Amino acid sequence: MHEARLCLSLLDLAERHLERAGGERILAVRVEVGALSGVVPEALASAFPICAEATRARGAELRIERSAGRDLVLRDLEVC
Amino acid sequence: MCGTCGCGEPGGPASPIRAHAHEPSPAPGHEARRVEVETSLLAANEANARALRERLAGLGIEAVGLLGAPGCGKTSLLERTLEILAATDPDAPARVAVVEGDCATDHDARRIATRGARVAQIETGALCHLDAHLVGHALEKLDLDGVERVFVENVGNLVCPAPFSCGESRRALLVSTPEGDDKPEKYPAMVAAADCLVVTKTDLLPHLDFDVERCVERARRVRPGLPALAVSARSGAGMDEWLAWLAAGGRR
Repeated sequence: MHEARLCLSLLDLAERHLERAGGERILAVRVEVGALSGVVPEALASAFPICAEATRARGAELRIERSAGRDLVLRDLEVC
Repeated sequence: MCGTCGCGEPGGPASPIRAHAHEPSPAPGHEARRVEVETSLLAANEANARALRERLAGLGIEAVGLLGAPGCGKTSLLERTLEILAATDPDAPARVAVVEGDCATDHDARRIATRGARVAQIETGALCHLDAHLVGHALEKLDLDGVERVFVENVGNLVCPAPFSCGESRRALLVSTPEGDDKPEKYPAMVAAADCLVVTKTDLLPHLDFDVERCVERARRVRPGLPALAVSARSGAGMDEWLAWLAAGGRR
């Protein structure tokens, strides 16, 4: 249930990096989700397009990479 | 057509993990490029938790988290703890502050307040766990002068509170006997986040098939060497061990 909140943190972080990189739009977001991170990838994927709607990641693709352990990491962005 | 939302993009139910792109191509004159981030999404809360822990340590306060399912006896354990402290020193409960987390109502805060502790209730609404930011603001409402210990009673939940530190130095995971002794195996992330397992409601053991040793062994499969104790807030059994664990202090 907290995936929407994490999604907002994810987008906030992504937009800050977009700004730093001087980009205009986020095309894709790559996230590593650990099996013990407490995050359900399917729930994150459902929340993402809704949370992204009012951001510069509107319509962006969410690429989720599953791993073991507790990590929940924003790996990189594709921007333009 | 995409079966997820009906847009024109390929994809659909077979690829539920990829939230498909509706505007996938860069605008003319703009090349797509990669930006490295490599940042934990929990980093913001971890930084808040560290700052809160240090602020409390500077005031000579240790915060202990209470985690567990709804109805596992978190508030009852606190009530009994305050009662025992008051029996030896009537002023002791006033040196305790409690942050209560629930989706709705201040029922728990009222129960704690009658025992003489300072208490702040967080009503989280739909939010399923507390975090360091919420707890920090709740503590701002309390006068912490003279306080030696803070208890953070998280929202009753065996999933979501695990990855979100609330500035505690230690966290106790409560499992009540009616829940069954296999709870630690069913919710391993919670056990991994705990510093002590507290089996509660042991006064009910004669009526249940709960095996305390089996429960502890199952928790230690997830977290070897995890300290464990068994209490009944109702009868007072095991409360000495709980108070000794609290008094031992220390950090993870």
